[in-house]
Amino acid sequence: MSAAKRVQQWATFARTWHVFDCKWQDPYESANIIKKYLMGMHKPIYHPMNDCGDVVVCINSREIALRGDDWRKRAYFHHTGYPGGASWTLAWELHNKDPTMIIKKAVYRSMKGNLQRRHTMERLFIYPEEKVPEDIMQNVTNQIRQIRQVPTRLDHIPEEVVKNYPKVMEYPEDYILK
Amino acid sequence: MAALVRAGFSLAKNAIFSTSIRSISTTKHLNIKEIRTSLEGSNIIIEGVTVPSPRTELLIRPEKLNTLIENKSTESIEKPPCYMCSLGLDVKHTDVLILSQFVRSDGCMLPRRITGLCRRQQKKIGKMVTMAQKAGLMINLTPAYSKKDPKKRWNYKKFNTYFDETTIFMKRIPKPLDRFKR
Repeated sequence: MSAAKRVQQWATFARTWHVFDCKWQDPYESANIIKKYLMGMHKPIYHPMNDCGDVVVCINSREIALRGDDWRKRAYFHHTGYPGGASWTLAWELHNKDPTMIIKKAVYRSMKGNLQRRHTMERLFIYPEEKVPEDIMQNVTNQIRQIRQVPTRLDHIPEEVVKNYPKVMEYPEDYILK
Repeated sequence: MAALVRAGFSLAKNAIFSTSIRSISTTKHLNIKEIRTSLEGSNIIIEGVTVPSPRTELLIRPEKLNTLIENKSTESIEKPPCYMCSLGLDVKHTDVLILSQFVRSDGCMLPRRITGLCRRQQKKIGKMVTMAQKAGLMINLTPAYSKKDPKKRWNYKKFNTYFDETTIFMKRIPKPLDRFKR
C-alpha cells in the first residue's frame, strides 16, 4: 500500500472534526450540508449501519440569517403534555432565549427520525460566538464551505473604493445635491 | 360646477393682476447644484453653487462597451431600453456599491424622473434598496434619527436577514406551508 493510499485509509475511518461558520447562513439550508458530514454521507464507505459519521463544530450561531420575514413568521411548537400546555414560540423569541437552538432544531429535523438520530446529534457542537473551548478546537482539521457569501456593509468599505467604483446612474443636469 | 367657478375666478384674477412670474432661462444648466449655507456675522448666506458632477468620469454606458453594440444592433424597436436594462447586470440586494448610487444621503430612493430608469427597473432597484436597508447593509445612508447599528434595533429586527430577489415581481409570496395544500 502506498503512502498516499494509507493516509486515505486513515482519513476514511478516523472521525474528522469539521468547523462550520454560521455567520449570515440560512440554518435550514446549512442543516442539509451539516447533516451529510454528521452522518458520514460524504464518505464512499457510507452505509446507515456503519458508524462513520464525523464531528461538526458550528461557530457564530448567533449571527445566522433567516430569509425575508421568517424571524417573525416562523413558530416553534412545544407541548408540556398537560391540557392547555401547548405553546408557540416565534423564531426571534427562541433566538433571544437560546442562540444555538434554531440551528440545532434545523439539523435535527433534517435527519430521518430513527434510533440513530439522537446519537448523531451528540456529535454536533454549537457555539453562539467565535470562542470555542481549546480542547475542542485542537481536534478540528477541516472547514466546511459556507453556502451564502457574507455581505459587506457599505460603511465597512473604504471611502476611496466607494468613490472610485464605476457608476451606473448619472445625475440630471439641474439636479440639486441633497 | 365648483371647478368651473374656480377656473373663471382665477382667469378674472389673472386678467386684473397680471403678476404671473415666469422663470425663463435661455441657457441650459450644465452642472448639478449644491446648496450651501454659511453664517457671516449676523447674516445667513444661502447660495446655490454649481458643481461638476463627480460621476461623469466613472460612468458606464452600453455605448462605451463595444461588445454590447454588436449583439444588440436592432434599430426597429420603438422604445430603446433604459440603461439598466441594456447593461444587463445581475444586481443583488447585497451589491451596496451599485444600490447606493440610486439613493439620497438619507437613504431614500430617488424618483424615476431623476434616475431615468424604466418602470420595471425602478421598481426592482427600489425594492432592492429596501432589502439592503432592512438587512442593515447601508447604515451610513439613513436618516439622522435612525439607530445606525442593526444590532441595536427592536425585537426581530436586530437579527440578520437576507432576501430573495426572485420574490420582487411575485404577486403573492408563497408560504412554506403551501406545498401541503391541494
